[in-house]
Amino acid sequence: MKYLFLVLENIRRNKTRSILTGLVTMVMVLVVTLVFTVLTALDKSMVEKQSNLKAIVTEKWQIPSMMPYSYASALSEGGAAPDDPDAARPEDYMSWGFFVGSTEENPAKRSFENLFFSFIMEPEKARTMLDEVDGLSDEEALPLTTAIQRMKDVPNGVIVGQERLDKMKKRVGDRITVFGRNYRDMNLELEIVGTFPREPARYADSSVISRDYFNRQLDAYQQSHNNKPHPMAEKTLGLVWLRLKDRKAFNKVSGQILASPSFTNPPVKIETSSTGIGGFLEAWRDIIWGVRWLMAPACLLTLSLVISNAISISVRERQLEFAVMKVLGFRPNQILMLVLAEALLIGTVSGLLSAGLTYLVVNGMGGLPFRIAFFPKFAVPLDALWWGAGMGALTAYMGSVGPARRARSVKVAEVFARVT
Amino acid sequence: MLLLTPFAAAPWALSTDSPILLGAVSFVALLLLVIIFIGKVPLSYNLMNLRVRWMTTLMTAGAFTLVVWVQTFMLAFVNGMYAMTDSTGQPGNILILSEGSTDETFSNLGFADATDLETQEGVLKVDGKALVSRETYLNVVQPIPDPKPGRPMRRFLQVRGVDEPSLSAQVHGMKLQAGSEWFTDAGVREVGKTGETAIEVVLGDGIARDLGADRKRDVLALAKNNSRLDVGEMFDVGGRQWVVTGVMEPTGSLYDSEIWTKQSQIGALFGKPNYTTFAVRADPDFRKDQRESFLESRRQKAEEAYRKALAEREADPTLPKPTLEVIKRPTSDDAWGAELLRDYFANEYTKSRFSPQVETTFFSAMTATNLQFLIAILFLCFIMSLGGVFGVMNTMFAAITQRTKDIGVMRLLGYKRWQILVSFLFESVMLAILGGLVGCALGSLVDGYTASSVVSGGPGGGKFIVLRMTVDFSTLAMGMLLAVVMGFLGGLIPSLSAMRLTALEALR
Amino acid sequence: MSNAEKCVEVRNVHKSFRRGSEVVDVLNGLNLEVAEREFVSLMGPSGSGKTTLLNLIAGLDQPSEGDVIVRGEHISKMTESQLATWRTRTIGFVFQFYNLLPVLTAYRNVELPLLLLPLSASERKRQVTTALDIVGLSDRLHHRPGQLSGGQQQRVGIARAIVTDPALIVADEPTGALDFKSADEILNLLGELRNTLNKTIIIVTHDPRAAARADREVHLDKGQLVTTAQG
Repeated sequence: MKYLFLVLENIRRNKTRSILTGLVTMVMVLVVTLVFTVLTALDKSMVEKQSNLKAIVTEKWQIPSMMPYSYASALSEGGAAPDDPDAARPEDYMSWGFFVGSTEENPAKRSFENLFFSFIMEPEKARTMLDEVDGLSDEEALPLTTAIQRMKDVPNGVIVGQERLDKMKKRVGDRITVFGRNYRDMNLELEIVGTFPREPARYADSSVISRDYFNRQLDAYQQSHNNKPHPMAEKTLGLVWLRLKDRKAFNKVSGQILASPSFTNPPVKIETSSTGIGGFLEAWRDIIWGVRWLMAPACLLTLSLVISNAISISVRERQLEFAVMKVLGFRPNQILMLVLAEALLIGTVSGLLSAGLTYLVVNGMGGLPFRIAFFPKFAVPLDALWWGAGMGALTAYMGSVGPARRARSVKVAEVFARVT
Repeated sequence: MLLLTPFAAAPWALSTDSPILLGAVSFVALLLLVIIFIGKVPLSYNLMNLRVRWMTTLMTAGAFTLVVWVQTFMLAFVNGMYAMTDSTGQPGNILILSEGSTDETFSNLGFADATDLETQEGVLKVDGKALVSRETYLNVVQPIPDPKPGRPMRRFLQVRGVDEPSLSAQVHGMKLQAGSEWFTDAGVREVGKTGETAIEVVLGDGIARDLGADRKRDVLALAKNNSRLDVGEMFDVGGRQWVVTGVMEPTGSLYDSEIWTKQSQIGALFGKPNYTTFAVRADPDFRKDQRESFLESRRQKAEEAYRKALAEREADPTLPKPTLEVIKRPTSDDAWGAELLRDYFANEYTKSRFSPQVETTFFSAMTATNLQFLIAILFLCFIMSLGGVFGVMNTMFAAITQRTKDIGVMRLLGYKRWQILVSFLFESVMLAILGGLVGCALGSLVDGYTASSVVSGGPGGGKFIVLRMTVDFSTLAMGMLLAVVMGFLGGLIPSLSAMRLTALEALR
Repeated sequence: MSNAEKCVEVRNVHKSFRRGSEVVDVLNGLNLEVAEREFVSLMGPSGSGKTTLLNLIAGLDQPSEGDVIVRGEHISKMTESQLATWRTRTIGFVFQFYNLLPVLTAYRNVELPLLLLPLSASERKRQVTTALDIVGLSDRLHHRPGQLSGGQQQRVGIARAIVTDPALIVADEPTGALDFKSADEILNLLGELRNTLNKTIIIVTHDPRAAARADREVHLDKGQLVTTAQG
């Protein structure tokens, strides 16, 4: 490390250039960090789990999936025939219906802002089956469990995420009326009994109402409409989640459900939740590809070019110096290392700094607010610090290896030979 | 730089509607011309230097090339999205969904609704027939047979079941290609020897190409048309075989991604017996005499709503800032007819409860996703361009340091400070233009490639579309503008420092 | 001259260069001997090959033909890598334009060649301060070249040339960029190096005053030795 001061002194020599090079690195690393934050989160959601996995059962052909609620109880058994001793059964289940409405009575004033979107489900399943909520400790999930308890006493209760509560300007304990949009002519009088915990951010805008309550509302509709059921009465089940021990159980349950005569009109399909999410994200496939394989590499390439330019200029200016050092006995490879070391130092430090700042600032804001599907925000992972340092180092290397070699091959004799 | 209010067309469309881009480009061009011809700036000196230090020139310009190329590529994608939503919809059409529906898939309309609709005054009648297309729209999942690794495993098909295909085609302005036919009244035909039936369909050009790509090599070799599915070919959906009776002419609209078939067939197959949509062509002369008063009253209502919202905001500052709704004057008889008919159904027609929308408005409202992408892309490109700015700044600082003596000589010869400034600024802008041109050239190569995406107007609904990436003149202009601005900003500070040197300092 | 006293021996050396498509013969069968503790000046008109000869003696280049032997070592047969190490230990180089590293202080500039030797930090410090002492710049250790006059910079250059205690000092126009007084001081210094420190000194120069300080003048013309005059 006795040569370190040579590297540092040279960085100091032209502070403007070093700072500018550092800034370019920081800027490009910022872009790539943001991009990878989103991409890695999407990738992770599509990783197939091998055990403790969740499967989703939906209508086979149509989107949106709309099944009769009568499917739910058979599905919760995994489609198992009641008398089959070898049948595989899921460890837990959750059914989802979707109620979309507005808190605004006047249809002309309805907008995105007063939209009300709610899951129709078994309230206690919110604790045990919702992604990311099921992983919380009891302490972290306390607001939710309290709310679920309340629902037992308040059948028309609704659990609302904090962000939605803020938008509606309501608090726990308030009552709201929701005018149905996908369920025409069904207006629900609800009481807000609780909220989701702040983490995970996914459910900050969601709500949950009780399936039993909703079914009773459908019955009430029928009674008040000449015993005619609501047009959507047989389409209230959107999807069913099943928790399965491992892939073997998944395969067995799949077979049971697909073979069962109970699910033929409409027919259903079953897939793991990661496959399901993957299918959902398929529409974004091309833009994800473009960002991953074109934009990010372009950033890194641009960065290498800029670094290469800066170091080349520097090497050209120092040709005489390098020759002198060779005269003094420095080996060619030592000269190469000096140039590389300077670039790597600037690159790695800037990259690390940039990633670190991004991590602090973006996560301080609550995450990157880019809405794709049901990901409301993306948090920068701690790994980003490694990516930043790594990218800084890699691009510094790519950019400086050419000029470093040129520095190495400075010919001593030719620099001094004068035809004089 | 850009006003991100949602324009109906892509915000940078180079037309009289977007003075911003036009103004910016003209300003830059003018400035360059002034510099070249009027200022006695030693430009050949700068150009020579660029040539002599060609390696540096290439590398700096290369950085510009990459940034401009990425932006052009991304904008081509967004252009494709806007082109789809913009060019969809006949100006004279209104779409009727059931009350409260924002999306066709959730709409539910009955037969009786249709028959009454056809009798209404504002509906255009041709040869005694009302131009009302009764449709059932659904999204169907189709697993792709033998998906190639890394390519999608399933497709979301847009299926539109209609009662009378030729009537629907007339309403939507779609035509069949030569050699194609509409499906029969029954909507099915027998195929094979064992009496299996296949559902007859007509395909939009875009989806015909997409489905055509599924064909295995041996099938392709024998196919009539190997770029898309053609008449007589079959594919699987929903557990049944579907057979193509015709392909529609491409229109560049969302309808190119649709599969049309007999409503009675798919209604039964997918359990959707009712209609979801009525597409209605308005009579262009409908309430002609009420046009001005209609426009006036709408504007008044908009103003009232705005004032009311302002007052509400004063009472409660947490409410969002209100914006005045701009009521545009319809530009054709068809458009007038549509607006007036829509108003009629929305406010006066009481027999059924409809949610009517002017078709062109319905589709341009689907720009919410477009805007989100646009903002994200521009943000990322902006950050990247900062990198380019710092990069060129580095180059220019080094160049000036190296050429300090030259500067001294020029000052000695009598060149003024501002001429030195402009001279070096010109050099950095030239670098930028060089890089930008190559970047635009590379970017334009993606023109015509297809990509998949989603357009949606709100929660729950959405159309999965295949779009054509489009690089048009405005996109290229944006790319060059980006390059020039980067070059200018990056060269500014170094050039300012060059300008400050006195002759003596420089020659020391 | 007996073998034990010979510092430099140049035997029948030829050196040619390619300039574009032409081949130029710069040195043609040159022979030269320099004794230990000798102070020799190499002189000659432009194009005579004196710089080329200097480069060969200092191990910066290899002859096309012939042998160069310094202190008994056949340097013309060494590899580039061996030459690098050899140069650090055996040669001290002084340049017309000093060629100090502008980013480093005087101290660091002088220390530079020592980094290549296996010395501890304290040993290095000792040698650097001694060298700067000898050239009379102990009070300017931490100045950068930009803060020193021409004469002072050249003295730093000389300190760097002697810090590894080489046997042979080679100087290329050492007074070429200096005013009368500074040039004088530098030449005195060079003389001291020979007298007190027993170094062999070869300088290339146009300056007759510099040549006058030498024991012997060697004249080159067109790649050949012309006359040798005793100074």
